[in-house]
Amino acid sequence: MSDREQTGRSIGRLVGRVESVLRDSALPQGAGVVGAVGQPAERLLWPVAERYNRTLGERFGEVTGLQLLLLLLSFGGLVTAPLWGQDYLRPLTLGAVWAVFAMGWDIQSGYTGYISFGHSALSGAAGYTTGLLVLHLNPELSLFVTVPLSILATTVLGLAIAVPSLRLRGPYFSLVTFVTVLLFYRLTKALSHWTNGLRGIRVDVFTYDLTLQYYMVVVPMLAVAATLTYVGRSDVGTVLVAIRENEDAVSAAGVDPTKFKLWSFVLSAVPMGIGGVLLAHVNAGVDPQTFVIVDNSIQMIAMAVIGGMSSILGPLGGAFLFVGLRDVFLVGLGEELRWLALWLLVLLVLVFARDGLFRLLWRALGALGGDRR
Amino acid sequence: MTLLSVDGLAKQFGGLVAVDDLSFGVESGEILGLIGPNGSGKTTVFNCIMSIYAVTSGTVRFGGTDITDDKTHQIVNRGLSRVSQESNPIGSMTVRENIELFTFPNSVRSFDGGASDEAIASYAARVDIEDALDDDPGSLPHADVRRLEIAKALATEPDLLLLDEPFAGLNQTEVRQLSEQFESFREQGITMVVVDHNMRGLMDLVDRVVVLHNGQKLAAGDPADIVGDERVQDAYLAGEVSAVQ
Repeated sequence: MSDREQTGRSIGRLVGRVESVLRDSALPQGAGVVGAVGQPAERLLWPVAERYNRTLGERFGEVTGLQLLLLLLSFGGLVTAPLWGQDYLRPLTLGAVWAVFAMGWDIQSGYTGYISFGHSALSGAAGYTTGLLVLHLNPELSLFVTVPLSILATTVLGLAIAVPSLRLRGPYFSLVTFVTVLLFYRLTKALSHWTNGLRGIRVDVFTYDLTLQYYMVVVPMLAVAATLTYVGRSDVGTVLVAIRENEDAVSAAGVDPTKFKLWSFVLSAVPMGIGGVLLAHVNAGVDPQTFVIVDNSIQMIAMAVIGGMSSILGPLGGAFLFVGLRDVFLVGLGEELRWLALWLLVLLVLVFARDGLFRLLWRALGALGGDRR
Repeated sequence: MTLLSVDGLAKQFGGLVAVDDLSFGVESGEILGLIGPNGSGKTTVFNCIMSIYAVTSGTVRFGGTDITDDKTHQIVNRGLSRVSQESNPIGSMTVRENIELFTFPNSVRSFDGGASDEAIASYAARVDIEDALDDDPGSLPHADVRRLEIAKALATEPDLLLLDEPFAGLNQTEVRQLSEQFESFREQGITMVVVDHNMRGLMDLVDRVVVLHNGQKLAAGDPADIVGDERVQDAYLAGEVSAVQ
């Protein structure tokens, strides 16, 4: 065996060991204290979880007591945020917008396996539709007009990218999305007489009341989360995962993979449109650097990866974690170090916890609850 | 009644002629053997029938309807299902979920339209894997993975099953059990075409045999006649008489 092969094997063994340590540490056997607290808590919560499983479990997935506790605490925390986190309303609002993006990306790329590197073109399309309408048509245009039109424009762009790329699989599809976002970015500058170039277009904020603005973002975010979780757990979600795993098997099952792929692009584009409109009004404007730039697409992917791809709620958690680190916890490190730390975290998750941190947490809570399900 | 008819089927890959002017019919209720040595074009015929490949020329009719240009999922929904030579269960789903996928309606608005647990268990029971429903396909022995492939095809409620090398890799007992199950499928009203390169396992099972050689039909008839056919022995078996006896 050559030195290189030996080194390769040693690294492989090391990675395997770290992975297993990480895995074990998440399980109750390796965490006596956690187990001692967790198991009685689970017993206490189980009757509630059982009731949830009987009523909503089939639609949204069954849970153990501790998993339900995590969901309720997260939900409660989000809904009551203005009471405990007035100083953090801005990052929490942005976290909610990015959660919509990460979930939108997930239903197409995580579930269906058509990995997009260009989803910021979709959110950009929504932002720019709103911007162009108020700039060139009527500054007083109602949200009831701009919001649906922006979401529609995003869906049209999503399908315009998807339909010609349907025959492409794997890296070719991803490259098409990647080039599309580069093209879109250049277009926003090339058409600067329409778009104001890098300066962008001013859009009115929803409201100057930060608490109200927060709710105007969190409520649609929760609606997107509930809808996509429901779809992901349904037959449709199963077919999308099957397309990712084996498209031919889907045809053999009598199900049209093309139709379902197009549907997954629509399911992805609509939240991207919603998120794009929200971001335009939260940021009071739309410009290429905050919207379209390819870095934004990569950040969406990072959020989904950190949280756990193809789980909807994982990317939601990933978005809040990513934005929290980016805009609050790592700010002290300074611009360069902050980004280095963030991308390093993404890399570590990719290597050591490919299923994502929130899925890891979810499973650990499930394991603490015993094997009831 | 002729359930499936293949007329003048040809398939070329570049300059290579894989299937050449092939015609045959499958009668409702029969089990037809489609045999030939490796590379004779058997799997290509199945791929053309199922529209995995576009045919170069010729037509495929099923129940009187021209299905040559249909898409695979449309053909499946017409009542024609195929069990591939390769097993391709989805590893991240249980055996139950793998079968359930094959019961889903082709509708993006169907959120809960798969078969009931009882129906899925009954598909599994028809090939004796009802005890493995909650297992991962990766943990099943080879024979059970093959049975899962058949259960998936059954779950589409086919009138005609195309079985591609169903006995490959199975031991004598498993071959016998599977043959008995195919017989019971026939009693339940399913017509079958079985592809194999070796006639031995098929002799007692099939009613009729079509022999393929270099993409062309070499002979067709009763299994007993085919075994005795000198052309089959000379050209197709190239002296490997043991393969048919």
